[in-house]
Amino acid sequence: MAAATEEHPGSTGFVPRAAEEVEEVHEANEEERLGRDDDGDEILRFMDSVDGHLLLMDSLSPALRRGWIDLAGARHWIGTSRVSSTLFDHKEQSAATKVQVVDSADLQSSEPNPHFVLSKWHLQEKSNSNDAVSAQDNTKPKLRFRGSTTFPEDGSHEADVAPAESWTGVDTRSHVQRARSKALSVFGALVSPKLRTSQISFETALELIVELANSRSNMLASFFQIKDG
Amino acid sequence: MAGRPSIPTISSALIAIIADEDTVTGFLLAGVGNVDLRKKTNYLIVDNKTTVKQIEDAFKEFTTREDIAIVLISQYVANMIRFLVDSYNRPVPAILEIPSKDHPYDPAHDSVLSRVKYLFSAESVASDRR
Repeated sequence: MAAATEEHPGSTGFVPRAAEEVEEVHEANEEERLGRDDDGDEILRFMDSVDGHLLLMDSLSPALRRGWIDLAGARHWIGTSRVSSTLFDHKEQSAATKVQVVDSADLQSSEPNPHFVLSKWHLQEKSNSNDAVSAQDNTKPKLRFRGSTTFPEDGSHEADVAPAESWTGVDTRSHVQRARSKALSVFGALVSPKLRTSQISFETALELIVELANSRSNMLASFFQIKDG
Repeated sequence: MAGRPSIPTISSALIAIIADEDTVTGFLLAGVGNVDLRKKTNYLIVDNKTTVKQIEDAFKEFTTREDIAIVLISQYVANMIRFLVDSYNRPVPAILEIPSKDHPYDPAHDSVLSRVKYLFSAESVASDRR
């Protein structure tokens, strides 16, 4: 073996180096391919979030419009002065509908990516721990499938209902009814049914708005990932 | 990931609104209205008497309060303070431009969409290729 090396020092030294170079080129190509795949995934996520954002905005307009029309109907029934911002109570009061903010579980993103969870009518305060766990589980953005629903299929809509799991259905419904009546009581003891339907329309709009906030957050995170990448 | 800024978890944050009377009334019916000890509210009703300065002050206040997670602003109101809205770039509170009764939503004016739309423009693709 030593004699062979001495006789052909160039050839025995050349072959291992060529193999190493080929391996290095192969590794570099593989890394470039994986990098392109990651970029492709990010671009797909970005396009999906923009699409979702625009679809949600298209759904928000009709929900708000229904609410405005019902408010106008209520004014028509009971008078403009009975449905007016001058009736708003400026005594100290805490909002019954709030939002929870958690950091997204998408650790691949280098940008901050908050996730919002709606809590309607104090339901969140009744079951905090359950919802915090479900909120963390639902923060990773997933690709949507365009179908019969306009809501992104990331489970966050179901998370809005999740706080009720620790209560019975009857408890939740009666709590929500009481909270809704309290909000309506600003406009008097007997309120027009139009005001009630307007309330439901704006509640629906709120759910869409929280979904919009999440899609905005995902869109911006993907955008900055692509821009910096 | 190292260096990734984290978002502090807020268990119970408010939704602020800067919009016309009907929109604010509707969302207050949905339970988002809040009045604190100092009688400060989380909403501003914009009418024909509201000045641009008042809108700017409300926007600055809502975007700096730590107990507010989302700020809803009618797009026609956002157009009055467009420079301020476009220069806002924090993740929380999230600023969402919404339509109003008399002014439908226009995606071309939305500050977030106009920021990201350059990725779709031919000029940006061409400049990257160069």
